[in-house]
Amino acid sequence: MNSLIRPTFWPEGLSRNLLGVAVLLVLWHIAASALTGSYMLAGPTAVINYLIAEHALIGRALAVTLQNAAWGFLAGNLAAIGLALLVTLLPALRLPIGAVALVVFCLPLVATGPVLRVLYGPGPGPQITLAALSVYYTTFLPLLVGLRAAPGSWFDLITLYGRGAWSTFIHIRIMASLPYLMAGLQIAAPAAFLGAMVGEFTGADRGMGVLALRAMRGLDVDATWTLALVAALVSMIAYGAIGLLAAWLGTSKPDILLATAPAKTSGNVASVLRSVTFVLATIVLILISWWVAMEAFALSRFFAKRPDDIWRYLMTAPDASANRAVLWAASQATLVQVIPGYLAGLGVGAALAMLLMLRPGLSGAVLPVAIALRSVPIVTTAPLIVLALGRGAAGTITIVAVMTFFPALVACMQGLRQAPGQVLDVMRLYATTPLARLWYAQLPAMLPGFFAAARLSVPAAILAVTVAEWLATGRGLGALMAMTASTSDYNLLWSAIVVVTAGASIGYALVGGVERLILSRLAPEQLKP
Amino acid sequence: MTRFDISRRHLMCMGLGSFGALTLGGRRVVAQQSSVALQLSWLHSVQFAGSYIADERGFWADRGLSVRLDAGGPNAPVEPPVVTGTALVGISAADYTAAAVQQGAPFRIIGVAMQNNPFAIASLPQNPVHTPTDLEGKRIGMPLANMPVLRTLATLNGVDLDQVEIVPTQYDAAPLVAGEVDCLLCWSTDLPIAMYVQGIESVTMLMADFGYTLHSQTYIATEESIANRRADLVALMSGEVLGWEEYRGDLEAATDLTLSRFPDAGLDRATQIEQARRQVPLMFSDLTDAQGFGWFTEDTVAQNIETLALLGMPVDAALWDRSILEEVHG
Repeated sequence: MNSLIRPTFWPEGLSRNLLGVAVLLVLWHIAASALTGSYMLAGPTAVINYLIAEHALIGRALAVTLQNAAWGFLAGNLAAIGLALLVTLLPALRLPIGAVALVVFCLPLVATGPVLRVLYGPGPGPQITLAALSVYYTTFLPLLVGLRAAPGSWFDLITLYGRGAWSTFIHIRIMASLPYLMAGLQIAAPAAFLGAMVGEFTGADRGMGVLALRAMRGLDVDATWTLALVAALVSMIAYGAIGLLAAWLGTSKPDILLATAPAKTSGNVASVLRSVTFVLATIVLILISWWVAMEAFALSRFFAKRPDDIWRYLMTAPDASANRAVLWAASQATLVQVIPGYLAGLGVGAALAMLLMLRPGLSGAVLPVAIALRSVPIVTTAPLIVLALGRGAAGTITIVAVMTFFPALVACMQGLRQAPGQVLDVMRLYATTPLARLWYAQLPAMLPGFFAAARLSVPAAILAVTVAEWLATGRGLGALMAMTASTSDYNLLWSAIVVVTAGASIGYALVGGVERLILSRLAPEQLKP
Repeated sequence: MTRFDISRRHLMCMGLGSFGALTLGGRRVVAQQSSVALQLSWLHSVQFAGSYIADERGFWADRGLSVRLDAGGPNAPVEPPVVTGTALVGISAADYTAAAVQQGAPFRIIGVAMQNNPFAIASLPQNPVHTPTDLEGKRIGMPLANMPVLRTLATLNGVDLDQVEIVPTQYDAAPLVAGEVDCLLCWSTDLPIAMYVQGIESVTMLMADFGYTLHSQTYIATEESIANRRADLVALMSGEVLGWEEYRGDLEAATDLTLSRFPDAGLDRATQIEQARRQVPLMFSDLTDAQGFGWFTEDTVAQNIETLALLGMPVDAALWDRSILEEVHG
């Protein structure tokens, strides 16, 4: 994600934000009263009562999960920074490392959890690792952009003074990248918490995830909502604190919007061949890493399948076609829910950003709600949303949309502000309506940010749909992967991992393709390297 | 197929564990202390109270064994840690074990904690399911993964499954309470208790009463362990037997021990004591009264094999190995 988030939301308009919170509380109370007795929603008073009664228990659980999330946050972001620096110093590594990093980020949590548990044995290892895996990519990508986000004249200046690449690195690149790093760290905070909670599902003695499971199974709606809200609140505080830290460091908001410069395709045979070769080489690299990782840890073939096992299962085994049919049916069930949800999330995000551009007064009410929705851990809310909206498509599509709209909203708001002031001034002189200004000047400026969010939201949408299928609807690839716990059909699990990961990577590439196509027509200047 | 992988890390863990036992475990000094792990099938709760009693009362320590109890969870399959040797014994179920064996895992069932299968159909009194034929014309909520279970119940009782509307849900009582379904496929010892504690009356039809004979909460170990680590297995199972017998004698104490041992697990006493009560008739029977906890016979094994065949998992009696229990009770 290139320009994610305005690093602060508190200092300006605190009172408006408070108004938003008040509106939310009232709406929540009305909804809870209307749903009394349905075991779906606990109202504000029930939550406060539960919090008072069980504050010690929740405090201890929060401490455990927060600690794991913090270690994961640290490890994941350090890895992201290390990778970004490496790639900047050795640009030849940029494409292969970027590709492998994306593929690892797309691995479904449902499936990586049990493997990590076997690797680590008991303890917080899987929780920390899943938290780290949930955050590193959303820091890596903006940082990569940030390290290049400086005007060419600055680099010239360093050269004029006779200093080398190292000085450029220290004085320009690192400084230029700080706002982007901060933006990445902000969205990493809720993701780390969610990762740590999902990690607890792989077998833990204590923590917020353990309590959430117990509450869901025990039909304890008050506890479920209290836990979800406490988790959301903590994520929001982390989000706000990083924003304040960014402000204190004096980093300006990231203000240069670059669509991670999608590779230019000139369309000639040589460049197509190069792209194909690169894709094939990446696939081979990933297959080798997969195999080496399994062998290095001497993981049993009973559950840790190798690429050749999956090839046999899907291609050469006697019942290979039946196996493919099972996967294909589940993939279809997942696709028909993830695609509308993803598009709805992006659409809602962009539409809200435009609404806030036309009616800035609403932002105090909309932004806190948006941040809260993004921060509520999906593992606790997915079953409740599905219960409220039904087991048809609506529930799952809503969950996916909730997980994807926030990056789009933030990036689009950022993008809308990038419209050149002179253009807007000229339009104002000619008395154009705000709507016309939005359509002709601000919308094209918004597109790069929109697409950056669209690309990063592909893995997020897939995470959302598989979690919803696993915990709530019991259909599709998410349910198929979870089912392995009872059937020990690890060939099917690993095949599903391959399908999900490949699907996410292809989706990511497709969005990049659409982005190039549209930007080349509407905002060609954004495609310049 | 790798039969038994023992990793370097695992060896180190065992080493550290023994070191810890030497430095800390001064309470009972035993000649050779051996450290093993028991992989539980779910989060800590009274479901495993017999094991906690065995640990607290020193039933394992007396036999030179220190047992680490590893929590399970919704994303924590039991079979992989047992295959890799991270855990010496796992708490599985006959159908899970049979499936794993079909996939090449070298498991044997060495003991049976739940003689009667806990699967049940839960419904509300105004629209109850008392017998399997009551299912016809109703909407049942269940994870699709449990389809073979429902199909087997239908086959055993001549229920026309086309007359039953299956609603894929996850494992949660809320869809029943919200009126989204008429009944649920669940364990008699969890979702019905959740409703009971919330003050919602429900009707529970135990599937074991209608021909669904399948061992649950089974102790599994690898063939390798049975051949080479018999002493540890016998010590572990002896502790389990003593722990569960003590559990049966005082459910209140077992519940209190569970609550005090896991203060952070979010357990509440009302739920736990009810679960403790309801699992007694599943775990103890005339057979265990005569032969001891965990026992199985050729007859019960044969009934299990029939049910497993209906579930689509053909196995033979060699899946069960009673030699460890025979040493325990012998």
